[in-house]
Amino acid sequence: MKTTGRRSLILIILTVAFFFGLSVFLYGLVTHGGAWAIQPFNGHLTGASTSSAGRVLDRNGTVLAQTKNGKRVYTDDLETRRAMLHAVGDSNGFISTGVQSVYCGELFGYNPITGLASPTGKSAGCDINLTLDASLCRLAREKLGDRNGVAAVYNYKTGEMLCMVSTPDFDPQNPPKDLDTNKAYSGAYLNKVLSSTFIPGSIFKTVTSAAAIENISDLDSRVWNCPGSITVNGNQITDIRSYGKLHFKDALAKSSNVAFAQIAIELGTERMSAEAQSMGFGHNFSLDGISCAKSSYSVKGASEDELGWSGVGQYTDLVNPFHFLVLMGAVANGGTPVMPYMVKSIVQPLGLPQKTGSGQMGSELLQPSTAERLKSYLRYNVTNQYGDSMFSNLAVCAKTGTGEVGGGKSPNCWMVGFSSNSSTPLAFVVLVENSSSGSLSSAGRIASSLMTAAAKVVS
Amino acid sequence: MKFPFDLSFLTSSMISVMLFLFRIIVPILTAVVALKCFHSLRLGKRRESPVMVLEDMTTHQVIPVLYWENSIGRSRSCDVVLRDQTASRAHAVLMRRESGWFVSDTNSKAGTFVNGRKVLGRTPVCPGDVIAMGSTVLMLKSTEEVGAAPAQPPRRCAASPFGLLFLTFLTQALLALQVAFSKGKFSLSFLYPLAVLAVLEWALYLYSIKILGHVSFELETLAFLLCGIGLAIQSGVDLKSSWTQVTAIAAGIILYRIMIWFLGDMDRVMRWRTGIAVFALILFAVNLLFARSRNGARNWINYGSLSLQPSEFIKIAFILVGTSTLDRLQTYRNLSGFIGFSAICMGALFLMRDFGTACIFFVMFLIIAFMRSGSVRTIALALAVAAFGAFLILKIKPYVAQRFEVWRHVWEHTGDAGYQQVRVLSYSASGGMFGVGVGHGCLRDVFASTSDLVFGMVCEELGVVLAVIVVLILASLALYARSEASRSRSTLYSIAACTAGGVLLFQTCLNVFGATDVLPLTGVTLPFISLGGSSMVSVWGMLAFLKACDERTYAARRSRK
Repeated sequence: MKTTGRRSLILIILTVAFFFGLSVFLYGLVTHGGAWAIQPFNGHLTGASTSSAGRVLDRNGTVLAQTKNGKRVYTDDLETRRAMLHAVGDSNGFISTGVQSVYCGELFGYNPITGLASPTGKSAGCDINLTLDASLCRLAREKLGDRNGVAAVYNYKTGEMLCMVSTPDFDPQNPPKDLDTNKAYSGAYLNKVLSSTFIPGSIFKTVTSAAAIENISDLDSRVWNCPGSITVNGNQITDIRSYGKLHFKDALAKSSNVAFAQIAIELGTERMSAEAQSMGFGHNFSLDGISCAKSSYSVKGASEDELGWSGVGQYTDLVNPFHFLVLMGAVANGGTPVMPYMVKSIVQPLGLPQKTGSGQMGSELLQPSTAERLKSYLRYNVTNQYGDSMFSNLAVCAKTGTGEVGGGKSPNCWMVGFSSNSSTPLAFVVLVENSSSGSLSSAGRIASSLMTAAAKVVS
Repeated sequence: MKFPFDLSFLTSSMISVMLFLFRIIVPILTAVVALKCFHSLRLGKRRESPVMVLEDMTTHQVIPVLYWENSIGRSRSCDVVLRDQTASRAHAVLMRRESGWFVSDTNSKAGTFVNGRKVLGRTPVCPGDVIAMGSTVLMLKSTEEVGAAPAQPPRRCAASPFGLLFLTFLTQALLALQVAFSKGKFSLSFLYPLAVLAVLEWALYLYSIKILGHVSFELETLAFLLCGIGLAIQSGVDLKSSWTQVTAIAAGIILYRIMIWFLGDMDRVMRWRTGIAVFALILFAVNLLFARSRNGARNWINYGSLSLQPSEFIKIAFILVGTSTLDRLQTYRNLSGFIGFSAICMGALFLMRDFGTACIFFVMFLIIAFMRSGSVRTIALALAVAAFGAFLILKIKPYVAQRFEVWRHVWEHTGDAGYQQVRVLSYSASGGMFGVGVGHGCLRDVFASTSDLVFGMVCEELGVVLAVIVVLILASLALYARSEASRSRSTLYSIAACTAGGVLLFQTCLNVFGATDVLPLTGVTLPFISLGGSSMVSVWGMLAFLKACDERTYAARRSRK
């Protein structure tokens, strides 16, 4: 019988398998329970059930999403629906950074303890008010048109996000059947403002500039020779044309790669890396707890020409749009940003506020004096290069950029900046991917209309 | 004058809060009952202290006799090891039966002699008798004679059976309240099936404890606890099916008692084995000839208004055919007869296209084969054959392959192949830890919600805490069977109990993990919980094997003599 007892250990194998399987289920329940529950087919959210889901509204009270007759219904206007897709989210939980996914507990009354049930039998979700302006988002999307890209605007004094748009998108009310197969929708599940990084091109010169301001004492009196191209380490670094001799602020305004490559090489890897790090590269920013992709600047082991290219936003540089929005806010705000937020308030069914959002001060990204000088250079860009008429009466400080992507694709066209007027404290980031028309005429035009419209929103 | 508040809203809220509180209490009570039952089962277990000893007549070495059935031989795996080259590896078996001690020679070369007389078949031995094997001579003595510590009397249960059953009854009363309010308003008619269950459990209690004088009632209590939860869920869905359920439970209890009686005499079981095997095969043949197809599997026989699933009863027959006493095991080591029987059973299930049950039979085969032979080679061979069989199924039956394709990808198939699984997951999460209340779930509208997907129903309506406790109880039953394996009165009981416990756990795994997309299979019932006629009856049969394994089950009867 001893042997029989020993052989009975075969049941232990089964028991171990059982506990393993049970753990798989329970782990899924704990980590994904909310997403499992918030399904369009879930009868507890729809139909005759007593619970009802909350609404999502923009800053003006426009209802962006609500539950009607047991169905999740998005705002009537197709363009607005698509523009707000990434901020609001969809019904299937595909857009994991949308408020409908992130705040499913508050919206649908879900929590891990009681699920969708409520001890009183009468549960209802909270309404979520956003700081975003639906019409501003709609405008941004309209201007982006069928081009892929991002556009974001925020108030750098209060922290309110006003516009956050990422394309491609789709209609959450009627998701297309070919969403997963059609290449036109590739990347549609991502809010690229938050979750993607891109090659920055010349907008990175703001970082190189900050490093120069802090490390080169005679910066304004120095002159850089920009003959159209220079050869470093056997490799050419080129400009679109020869600029002759340039002072620093003109080198930035004309965006001379030759000048900035020399500056980066002069500063060296350590000081460039230190500046990038202090300006938020490699840092994990977040918007209302939604974690963003990290920008990266890495010149470890780079040769001199590669270091030069890194100083003009090429090489391995990658930038997250939200990070640059915060960075622009920091420059505008004397070096320390007010962190953006987009959930204005979460209001319980009886009207009691459950949570109120506010802009928190972030950590210092630039020294106040650096921020002040960089601001004046960025202002000079607009007045002397881009044309102040683009942004009438907004005193915009900005930098454009064209990030060369390679692989037969046209570059990423950028414009980042802010209004230095105290009545219109707005910072913006605009990116048009794969654009052949130059950054001013693509991203610049979008930024121009967006800032003009946003100015009306805040005033 | 109008009230400023709607008072009916207030009362309905109060009832909701009360029911919610009860849904918190039910899992606590269930856990308490389960813990106490298993604790009591542990305490009721016999200590491994010898009742008798064997004294070597030449060396005067004293060898303790620890078990009810003891293998004697040269092999180190024997319970009594003989250091004697002339003895066979498995020479004989010394057994304790109700009428005393016996020795059986198990085809040894040199033969076994009691008091100088050659042993043919089973021979009684009394204290003082001398057993000779090869050149070894052993004398059977009681422990008192050699001055060893006397065997401890079997201990009573830790908790009173009455108290445990009463707690179970209380749990069911709380569940009954959930059922009563399942349609929003209090309704008495939903409670009748649960009331019948209460009558059944107290009747069995009185019969077992008071009339038969049994000391233990833990396993039955656990079974009733689970049945109550299952029945509450069924009552919230459909009153008619809950009557079916409670009828099946009653039939199951009758089968349970019959099997306890039948298993009481091991010789009777051994005598009937061939007959049972033939009966099982006939049942399969009848099934194949007359069965009606339901949901793709031809495993139902309709006789008038009665519909039966013969394979559920063949499970019990399969275990009875597979198990054996130690002397038989040691005499007839060959597994081929049993393998042949298993192959026919499995073949019949394949013809019936009942692959879920085929899986269960295969696991039963594995457990029995391993416990009988200990041969890893046999198991490996069986697994290889099974893998080939599985490959064939996937080739021939595309709908089975489809299940594998959506496995772990069910969220991409919410409308088609993953329909049931995503709803189980979604509604399980919706229920939270304490459920939305009996009758208020949404999973009930999904096909097979009360059978294959019942785990999701328990999660949604009564909460995931209770659902986890339920499956933990089922797993503990298997562990209990394992822990009794060397303590039962015979390997016959040990093998049967381990197989029954293993099958209960395996079915639990298939049911729970199939429905929740941890495994790619569905279509198996959750023991004691799922709606079922034949399957419920058969589960009580499985419980009888566990009960028979408990040494105390047949002790009470002797004490009454």
